[in-house]
Amino acid sequence: MKTNLNNKPSWVRKLGISTLLAAGILAQFGIATAAEQSIPRLANGKPDFSGIWQTTSAADYGLEPHANRKDAPPFIGAVEGNTIPYLPQALEQKKKNFENRATDDPSLKGYTLGVPRGIYYPEPFQIFERAADINIVHQFGHSVRTIHTNGTEHPGLEDSNDWWLGDNRGHWEGDVLVNDVKNFNDKTWLDRAGDFHSDALHVVERWKFIDPNTIEYKATLDDAKVYSRPWTISALLHRHREKNFQLIEDYRYTTDYDQYYPPQAGKK
Amino acid sequence: MKNRMSQGKLGLTSLVLGALSFASVATFAAEATTAKPAQAQQAPAGGGIGYEKSFPKIESGKWTGPKLADGQPDVNGHWSNTISNHSNFTDPNGGIPGDPKPPKTPLPPRNERAPSRVSDPADGQVPFQPWAQEKVNQFHVGFHNPTEPQYIEPLARCAPAGVPKSLYWHGYEIAQYPGYVVFFFNSGTRIIHLDGKPHLPENIKLWNADSRGHWEGNTLVVDVTNHNGKAMFGRSGEFISENGHVVEKYIFANDGKRYNYEAVFTDPSVYTRPFTVTIPARKWTADEKPNGWHFETRVVNVPGQGPTIERDERICAENNGGFGMGAEKTAKK
Repeated sequence: MKTNLNNKPSWVRKLGISTLLAAGILAQFGIATAAEQSIPRLANGKPDFSGIWQTTSAADYGLEPHANRKDAPPFIGAVEGNTIPYLPQALEQKKKNFENRATDDPSLKGYTLGVPRGIYYPEPFQIFERAADINIVHQFGHSVRTIHTNGTEHPGLEDSNDWWLGDNRGHWEGDVLVNDVKNFNDKTWLDRAGDFHSDALHVVERWKFIDPNTIEYKATLDDAKVYSRPWTISALLHRHREKNFQLIEDYRYTTDYDQYYPPQAGKK
Repeated sequence: MKNRMSQGKLGLTSLVLGALSFASVATFAAEATTAKPAQAQQAPAGGGIGYEKSFPKIESGKWTGPKLADGQPDVNGHWSNTISNHSNFTDPNGGIPGDPKPPKTPLPPRNERAPSRVSDPADGQVPFQPWAQEKVNQFHVGFHNPTEPQYIEPLARCAPAGVPKSLYWHGYEIAQYPGYVVFFFNSGTRIIHLDGKPHLPENIKLWNADSRGHWEGNTLVVDVTNHNGKAMFGRSGEFISENGHVVEKYIFANDGKRYNYEAVFTDPSVYTRPFTVTIPARKWTADEKPNGWHFETRVVNVPGQGPTIERDERICAENNGGFGMGAEKTAKK
């Protein structure tokens, strides 16, 4: 049976309009609820972060709030509470790092960026997710981080190494992926402003969809050798949706010697 | 369950029997004749390099094994080459060409060593143009006393092993996702796109090239372009240029235990004709013991589920760790 709102009595029309208005208001306040229902999921019901992601945050230029400088745009900061709680000696080291950043930043050598820097560095990374693990492939260095989500725990000291990207053990708290990372080396920085950590670094990451194409990323860093208390970084990650977009391997560290290969006709 | 495990081991035994592993290829003649099944069942100590003198042909055809939800044949898991390593591309058991310190025990005759990875032409040699053959010959000398940077194999400087060398370097993981087959190699990662998108613009040249694949029954067919031509095929110095084109077939046996790589390499600027590369591969399971080379993993227990295989981080930059790896033992803190 066809109905036409215009043929209804005026109170019906009003009701129809106010229902629409009410729906609109609900939509305004109900975004999160709608997103929870529409986010991509694996067959087991867990959120599926598979895809290519990148932040628009300027966090990699310096996590703390800063004005512009010759080598960085201004930035409102990505640290909760604005300041990284360095221990006094560590703060001195951070200042030295900052002074020498044009030569000492490991990313300039093409080295693996570490955790959490690889996530907010301005190059894309791709997430490949299965029930048992989540592999993150970074375009920069094409380094691979595996987050185990199969219920296994960090290896004991006898079996553990110090990794560039740590030992990653994740679990789900509702739709939030909580990833506990430790066993790091001390060779990575947190940004190109010289913020740093030691091999005692412990990171807890929280990954959460706020809509199907946006992840809210938080990382809480603890390091008794460097910081006086745990502190938290946050950034939004956006899904790359450009047509035919893909990762392009960026083995930056090979560019110092790659001109010697391959052999060419007529060349020594 | 017990039955299945022991069958798995039996199947392996025949492989391992033929495939005793050694750090030095030269010792294999002596050891192979004295090998006992009991020894052969032991995983190689300290990381070894297996070999087979021959391997089964696998025909392209239907896939009758398990499939993934998206219809791909399920070949997820940990795999490796079964013949030696990257020391010598065309004579895999022959040691590094031009080695000034040849093995103490003479090599067995050529026909008792594993076949060339070049399966066509029949002579097993890469059909290089004369200038390119001359470059390879120079590399055979220069490699052992590199007075010029081009005589250092790029893999030794942490460059990705590239196509096809990654397949006969260490073991690796094949992981499948809707739209992708991903190879997590010891040195580098290859993402094979199954969604039919076009290749990258041709001025973008990559160590691992650019890969577009599709499944034909039991066979993953991959079109490979955008090589940077820099990776070399081994310590024997063979190479492709940035004009090269490779069509790869990964032909999987329906029992899921093996695949053969058969790939046609074409490059009119380096070769006189296309040639075919054949590399046999086998799967490893959590029932087996990691051996530091072909099965370079750790087996861990998943609470309530049993053993599973984990793969350690593989990061190499400026040879910044033991054997090119980035990891150091965690200090007692």
